[in-house]
Amino acid sequence: MTCGALLVNMGAIQTTTLRKEFGDVRAVDDLDLTVEQGEVFGFLGHNGAGKSTTINMLLGFLRPTAGDIEVLGHDVTEESRAVRQRTGLLPEGYEPYSNLTGREHVQSAIDAKDADDDPDELLERVGLEPEAARRKAEGYSTGMQQRMSLAVALVGQPDLLILDEPSSGLDPEGVALLREIIRTETERGATVFFSSHILDEVEKVCDRVGILSHGELVAVDTIDNLRSELQAGATVSATLETVPDDLGLDGIDAVRSVAVDDRTVTAECTDARAKMRVLRALDDRGTVADIGIEDASLEALFDQFTGTGETGADETPAEAAAESTPERAVAPDGGGR
Amino acid sequence: MSVRTVLRDDVRNTRRSFVVLGVIAVLTVFVGLIVGSDASAHDYPYRALFDVSFFFFLALPLIITPLTYLAVAGDRDSGAIKHALGLPNTRAEYLTAKYVSRGAVAVVGVLVALVVGFVVATFAYPNAPDSVRFVKFGAVSALFALSMTGIFVAISSMTKARSRAMFGVITAYFLLGPFWLGFLPVVNLGTIIDTVTSTLGVTLTDQTMGLIQSLSPTVAYLQSTEFVYAGVLDNHEMLARNFQGDKYYTELWFNALVMGAWAAVTLTIGYVRFRVAELG
Repeated sequence: MTCGALLVNMGAIQTTTLRKEFGDVRAVDDLDLTVEQGEVFGFLGHNGAGKSTTINMLLGFLRPTAGDIEVLGHDVTEESRAVRQRTGLLPEGYEPYSNLTGREHVQSAIDAKDADDDPDELLERVGLEPEAARRKAEGYSTGMQQRMSLAVALVGQPDLLILDEPSSGLDPEGVALLREIIRTETERGATVFFSSHILDEVEKVCDRVGILSHGELVAVDTIDNLRSELQAGATVSATLETVPDDLGLDGIDAVRSVAVDDRTVTAECTDARAKMRVLRALDDRGTVADIGIEDASLEALFDQFTGTGETGADETPAEAAAESTPERAVAPDGGGR
Repeated sequence: MSVRTVLRDDVRNTRRSFVVLGVIAVLTVFVGLIVGSDASAHDYPYRALFDVSFFFFLALPLIITPLTYLAVAGDRDSGAIKHALGLPNTRAEYLTAKYVSRGAVAVVGVLVALVVGFVVATFAYPNAPDSVRFVKFGAVSALFALSMTGIFVAISSMTKARSRAMFGVITAYFLLGPFWLGFLPVVNLGTIIDTVTSTLGVTLTDQTMGLIQSLSPTVAYLQSTEFVYAGVLDNHEMLARNFQGDKYYTELWFNALVMGAWAAVTLTIGYVRFRVAELG
């Protein structure tokens, strides 16, 4: 039985009322978080939200003020070495050893983990040129350093990859390569804990996201479910040759509002699954010349959950989502208000 | 396994910087100059070793400062420590490797300097240098280098800021060296003990004062060099005046114990602090 098999149905990461205080400042506030085995989990939050503090506690760099952390079935405060043996870390904002080459950093990880990886293969996999891999790391650009750190993280086929802002400094090719590596790693069963503030990137790779705000976990779910929870849904627009008096959308519960601008009808849906019903209804009553569909962006969800968008401080995310939709120019039946 | 990995990385990283070259060069140049210049005043190279011992006593801790004060604090400040401790290396292994690495460089610096000093002595003095005396001198000087390296690396492990590490190391140097031996005017260990004892109305015996003086690694080092001059002190009054004690605390075993204990105790304290240090 493999270690991975042992972890079936167990959380790869499990925190229970995890708290970290620095003097009077509570950086992480009673965090209850479960990251399932084999998923790509996006950990979102603004700078200072507590993301890096949480990661530092997951690896034993920081001791929790209160609460428990289990990573890969190990209590981190007692068995952090066992955790690090099976974890690959790409830390944020650190300087590598200036006089060691990229290849030597990777070799160091191979030796420390007693792994049998070929450092050159790992460096090739992350796109660090052989000539660059043999240069001192002090001359590396941020992107080259990220690639080197990713190669270090991949040593020993870790069960858990903790990637803290892995896209920072990467060019588009590097970002695409990162996505490919994450996909490959999850296919072999690894769990990926992906901390980032680049929401577009998170949306592309993560199965679920957790949103941290002021040390508190304000949301955890799939992005689709978060959209539904906020009734953020999607926006459907259709350009018709002629706009009928009755749009036929009043029978669709998920349509929150409809706006007509010249020949373009725009329908706000609280449920993304209602998009096709809207289009079919419009097509039944007129000739659709063009369509546009836009799901609520993760950025919009993030702003609403963290209260950093146009959301009022006392509003619930759902209220904020409702208010953030365009003006309700017409009722779903096409009549003006 | 992990100690070896961290040690190898640290040796490579340090060796490729100018620090190692600088430490070895400065020690070698000064020892060569001292041995060479003494040849004009003395017939025997062992006399030059006495002057080298005072150079080591005063300057060796300062020369190894750039090698040691950032050993751990530098990694914490830059975040490079997350590479080593993000891997399955324990903090004890990491600190041990750091001490061994930096200590090895300090010892190599001392030994290279003395080899050069021996070569200079071979050509500059009318009497050939005694290799046994040089070996003995090299042994106690290496122990002194390891002792001071241990103290400084321990201080480095207790701080996360470069400036604090530098301040701590320089303070330790002045307290354990010039202050303890009485080089500093007015404020030194002797005057402070005199003030305290006279305030309390008590008197310390010469033996107790001697013991207290011997508890510094720098003083212990100077006293430990007595065995280098075995057989010649009776003929050399100036040298003999520096080694007049015959108490247990002036003997080689005690002085070696003091030097070793300073490294061991401070590193243990450093580890106890570092083991629970916040590395975020």
